[in-house]
Amino acid sequence: MKTLEEVFETWEAVIGLEIHAELTTLETKMFCGCKLEFGAAPNTHTCPVCLGLPGALPVPNRAAIESIVLAGLATNCDIEKHSMFYRKNYMYPDMAKNFQTTQGPIAFCMRGHLDLDVDGRGAAERYRLDALAPGERDGNITRTEDGYVAHVGITRIHMEEDAGKMVHLGGGEGRIAGATHSLVDYNRAGTPLIELVTEPDLRTPEEARLFMQKLRQIYLAIGISDCSMEEGSLRCDGNVSLRRRGTTAFGTKTELKNMNSFKNLHDGLAYEICRQAEVLEEGGVIYQETRHWDPSAKRTIVMRVKETADDYRLFPEPDLAPYDLTDEFIEGVRAKLPELPDQKAARYAADFGLTSYDARHLVEHRATADFFDECMALAAAEADGGAFAKPLANLIINDVTAWLNAHEGEALAATPLSAARAVALVKLTVADVISSKQAKEVFAAIMDEDADPEAIVEARGMKQVSDTDAIEAVVDEVIAANPDEVARYRDGNDKLIGFFVGQCMKAMRGQGNPKIINELLAKKLG
Amino acid sequence: MVTPFGSMSIGELQAGLTAKEFSAAEVARGTFERIEAADGVVHSFLETTEALALDAAARIDGAIAEGRLAEMGPLAGVPVGYKDNLNLTGTHTTCASNMLRDYVSPYTATCVERTLRAGALPIGKLNMDEFAFGGSTETSAFGPTRNPWDTERVPGGSSGGSAAAVAAGLVPVSLGSDTGGSIRQPGSFCGLVAVKPTYGVVSRYGVVAFGSSLDQVGPFARSVEDAALVLNAIAGRDALDCTSQPSDVDFTANLAEGVRGMKVGVVPAFLEAAGLAPEVRAKTQEAALALEKMGAELVEVELPHAQAAMSAYYVLGPCEAFSNLARFDSVRYGYCDPGHKDLGSQYEASRARGFGPEARRRIMLGSYLLSAGVYDTYYYPAQQVRTLITRDFAVAYESVDCILAPVAPRTAFKLGEIGDPTEMYLGDMFTISINIAGNGGMSVPVGLGADTGLPVGVQLIAPPFKDANMFRAAAALETVYGPAPVAPDYADGKVGA
Amino acid sequence: MTQHLSEADVRGIAEYTRIGLTAEEVVAMTADLNAIIDSLAPITEFDLDGVEPTFHPIGDLSNVMRDDAVRGSFTQAVALENAPKQESGSFLIPSILGEGGDR
Repeated sequence: MKTLEEVFETWEAVIGLEIHAELTTLETKMFCGCKLEFGAAPNTHTCPVCLGLPGALPVPNRAAIESIVLAGLATNCDIEKHSMFYRKNYMYPDMAKNFQTTQGPIAFCMRGHLDLDVDGRGAAERYRLDALAPGERDGNITRTEDGYVAHVGITRIHMEEDAGKMVHLGGGEGRIAGATHSLVDYNRAGTPLIELVTEPDLRTPEEARLFMQKLRQIYLAIGISDCSMEEGSLRCDGNVSLRRRGTTAFGTKTELKNMNSFKNLHDGLAYEICRQAEVLEEGGVIYQETRHWDPSAKRTIVMRVKETADDYRLFPEPDLAPYDLTDEFIEGVRAKLPELPDQKAARYAADFGLTSYDARHLVEHRATADFFDECMALAAAEADGGAFAKPLANLIINDVTAWLNAHEGEALAATPLSAARAVALVKLTVADVISSKQAKEVFAAIMDEDADPEAIVEARGMKQVSDTDAIEAVVDEVIAANPDEVARYRDGNDKLIGFFVGQCMKAMRGQGNPKIINELLAKKLG
Repeated sequence: MVTPFGSMSIGELQAGLTAKEFSAAEVARGTFERIEAADGVVHSFLETTEALALDAAARIDGAIAEGRLAEMGPLAGVPVGYKDNLNLTGTHTTCASNMLRDYVSPYTATCVERTLRAGALPIGKLNMDEFAFGGSTETSAFGPTRNPWDTERVPGGSSGGSAAAVAAGLVPVSLGSDTGGSIRQPGSFCGLVAVKPTYGVVSRYGVVAFGSSLDQVGPFARSVEDAALVLNAIAGRDALDCTSQPSDVDFTANLAEGVRGMKVGVVPAFLEAAGLAPEVRAKTQEAALALEKMGAELVEVELPHAQAAMSAYYVLGPCEAFSNLARFDSVRYGYCDPGHKDLGSQYEASRARGFGPEARRRIMLGSYLLSAGVYDTYYYPAQQVRTLITRDFAVAYESVDCILAPVAPRTAFKLGEIGDPTEMYLGDMFTISINIAGNGGMSVPVGLGADTGLPVGVQLIAPPFKDANMFRAAAALETVYGPAPVAPDYADGKVGA
Repeated sequence: MTQHLSEADVRGIAEYTRIGLTAEEVVAMTADLNAIIDSLAPITEFDLDGVEPTFHPIGDLSNVMRDDAVRGSFTQAVALENAPKQESGSFLIPSILGEGGDR
C-alpha cells in the first residue's frame, strides 16, 4: 500500500466528521430525572421513561438545551429559534423505545465554523502547501508563516439521546460477531447527547485530528462534557471519500467507526485513505459501507454494507412541544459563555507577549490556562510582573505538563504546586537567585515535598552565585588547570566552551550563574 | 332490594358514607361481590384489585371516624374502574393484548394517581379493544365485552369495558381513553355520559400510547355531575406530560345555569351523512330542539373539511401507533416467544404472536405511510388537513359556544356483525375530527332509538379548553332526558337476563 | 382497488417492523392494507399549497422543559421485574447477529 504522501500525489481526500458528545456535566438524563453516572450497577439509573415502559412520556432537560445552545454559540453557529424533536425509528435492543428522539431537518445549531491552526508535521500532510504564499487563500485554507489555517464548516449540532450499553457474551473478546447472547444495561440510555456534523471540508487526517482536539478544548472550556474519549463520552465517526486531484465530484464514501483516541482518529483515517486509493488504483469500486478501525491490526474492517439508504421513518415527536426559543433564553445562555481557548490564546499573545505556540499550548487544557491566569494575576503585584509570563508559560508547558503526563489522573489543582508557589519559583529565576537548571530541581522538590520554593532553596543551600569576583576566581582556576584545552580552544575548537562551563559549574557545585560564567570565560579565553 | 353501590351516584355514595349508613370498606366489598355476581356475561373487568381498594377504603373509614371525610377528596369512597391501558402500580396493564398478558405496572399513570389522591377506591382494570384499536371491544385478546343493554351486542369500543361496567351498575364511574371516539362511541352504545376532554386537559403520563397527538383520557358516568367531578379530579397540568396544560376550571360550576343565551351549532352535513341511521338522526334533531326550547339559539355551522378527517385519522393514528408500539420487542417486558437463538427471530415471532391482527395491520400501515417517498403523499398532507379542520372549528366557534352532532352513525351492533376493518372505521365518522383538532367532545344519553330500542347518545363539542361549555349544555339535556339509567337487566341489583 | 402494495412490499414492511407473517398472512395483509390505503384517498385530493401542518394540537404551547434535578430511579429489581430473561442485573437477549451473522 502507498504512503499517505504518495496517495496525496494523485488523490484528494474528502473528510467529514460526526462527533457525539455526552453532556456528562449535567445532573440528569435528557428526558427523565434519572441521575447521570458512569459505572453504576446495571439498570439502577432507570425509570419508566428511559426504560421505554408503555405509557411513559419524555420531558426535556432545560440544562441540556442550554448546553447545546452554548455549544452552538462557541462554534459560531446560528441558533435556530424554531425547531422540533423527531422520532428516528429503528429497532435495536439498546434503544428502549425502539426509536431515538433526535432533531429533524432543523437543529438547534446550524451553519457554524471553526478555524484550525495547522503547522509542523501536520502541515506537511497537506498537499503542495508550498505553492501558497503566507496570507494567500486557496479553497478553505489560508497559508500562514509556519503552516496554514483550515476553515472548517459545521453543518449543524443537534440534540439527541444516547442508547444503553450492551455486553456481548460467548464470542471472542466481547465482540458482537459470534456472540451467543448479549446483556443490556439501560443506565446510559437517555443520556443527553449532542451530535456535531461538519461539512466535508477536511482534507487530511491531521486536520480531522486537530478539529476533534479543538472541539474538545471548546467543550471542556464551556463545561458541557468531560469529553472522555476512553469512556466514550466523546465519540467520532469519519466519512471519507477520495477524488482525483483536479476533479470536484465526490467519490463514494465509507463511514469509519471506533476511532476512540486522537491517534486512532488520525491513523484510522490515514489507513482508510490509503486503502481506498489502492482499491481505486487497482480498478476496484468503493462500496458505501461502515468500517471499523482496528488499532491493533492497523486496518479497517467492514461492519455493514449499506445497500440502500436507511429509512428511519422520521416524523415529529408528538409527545414533545416544539421549540420557539426566545431572545431572552439565547442571551441568557450567551452570558454564560466563558472566554474560549482561541480568545484566551490571542489575549496571552497580546497582553503578555507570548508566542502563538506557547499561547496555544497553554490553552489546550482548561486547567493549565486557568492556572496560568491565576499565576499572572499574582505576578501583577510584582514590579516586573510582565517578565514572569514567558518563564511561567515554560514552567507550565514543559515541567507541569510532563509531571501531569507522568501522574495520570491527577488534577493540577490538587497538586502541591499552587499558583503562589509557581510565581515564587519563577520569581527566583527572574531575579537570578537560582539558575533555570536549579529551578527544575526546585520544581521537583515542590511536587515531592509539598514545600515552598524559598524554603527548598534555603534548605538545600542552592542559591545561585552571581558574585562576579567569586566566579572570576573559579574561572581563573579552571583556565589554569586545563592548558591543553585552552590551547585547542584558541586554535578554533569553539565547542570546548561547554567543557569550561561544565568545569566551572562543577567547581561551584552547580550554583554559579551560567550567564556570568559564560561572559567571563569568553572574555578570558578570547 | 338494596341499591348496589355501583348503581349509586357519587353524591349518594358520599351522603351514605357521611351518614354512616355504610362504610367505605363495605362499599369496596359490595362492589367486588356485585362484579363477581353480575360481570360474568358482560365481561367488563379483566382484573379486580381487592387489596388496593380495601387499603384505600380503610383510609377513608379512618377519616370518617375522625369526621374528616371532606378532607379525603371529592371522590372519597367512590369505586372507580380503569381501562386496562392505564398503569396502576402492582396491577396488570395488558391493553387486552397477549403482548402484555403478564405485564405488571411498576408505576402509576397521573390520571389514575389523581383519582386515588381524590379518595377513589380502585376497583380494577377494564376490557378494551387490543391497544385501543377498534370500536367494539371484540379485538380483546381476553374475549369481548358485551353490552349490558343487550348482551348479543357490543358495548362499543375501544373503551367497551369502561362503558359496560358503568352501564351494568358495577361501578358508578370509570376512566377510558379516546383516540378517535373510543370514549364517546361506547358511551353512546351504552347510554352514558362519556367525556373526551380537550387534548391537554388530562395528563397522558402512564396511559399506554396509541396515537400520541390524539389520545385523551376521560370519564364515563351516569350523570353529567359525576362526570364533571371525575374530570375535576384528573384534569390539569402534569410536569410529566409536556402536552398537558393548566386547568383551573370547576366543571360542575355551571351545570345548573341552563342554556338560555347559549349558541349551539348544528352541522347540516352531519345530519345528511350517508350511513346515519334514521333513529340517530331523529334523536339528534330532537335534542337540538330540546336545547332550543330551553332557550339556546341553534346556529347552522359548516365544517367543510370534516369529510377528510377520517382519512387524516387513519394516516396519523397508525403512524403514531407504529412508532409507539415498536417498544414491544420481547427485551424489557412483554411476550417473548421461547426458544430463539437469535434476536431477529425472537423479535418476529414475539411480535407476530403477541399482537393481534388489527394491531399488526395498524403497525404495518403506519410503517408504510412514514416510509421515504410515501410520507409526503399521506402523512404530511394529513397534518396539513389537521390545520384546515382546526380552522373550520375555530371559524365555527366564532358564532357558537358548542356544537351538537351525532356520536355514532347507529346504535350498538351485534357481536361479529362487522368484520371488515374499513367498515368498522366508519363508526368513528362523527367523532374523529374532534380528536384531529384536539377539541373536547362528550356523549350525552338522549333515550332509546325508535327502531332498535337501544341507547342513543348525542355529541356535544366544545372549543379548546372550554369544555365547561359542553358540560353546561349536557346538564340542560339531562334535565330533559334524565340521568343515564343502569341497563334494565342490571338495574336494581339484577345480574342480567 | 388500486394495488398500492405488492406482496413483496408487504413482506418488506413486515421485516422492517419485525412482525413475522406466514405466506397466507402476507396475502391477507396485502389485501387489507390496499383497501385501507384506498380509503385514504381524500387526503390526497385537497389543494394544500401553503397550508402549514399542525404536528402538535396544542396551540401556542412551546419550550416545555424541566429543571435538571434528580428524580428517583427504579431499583434494579423493579427495572427487571417484567424482563422475559435476565442475567447479572441486565436484560438478556439472544445473539443479535444470529448464527454466522456479520451484518
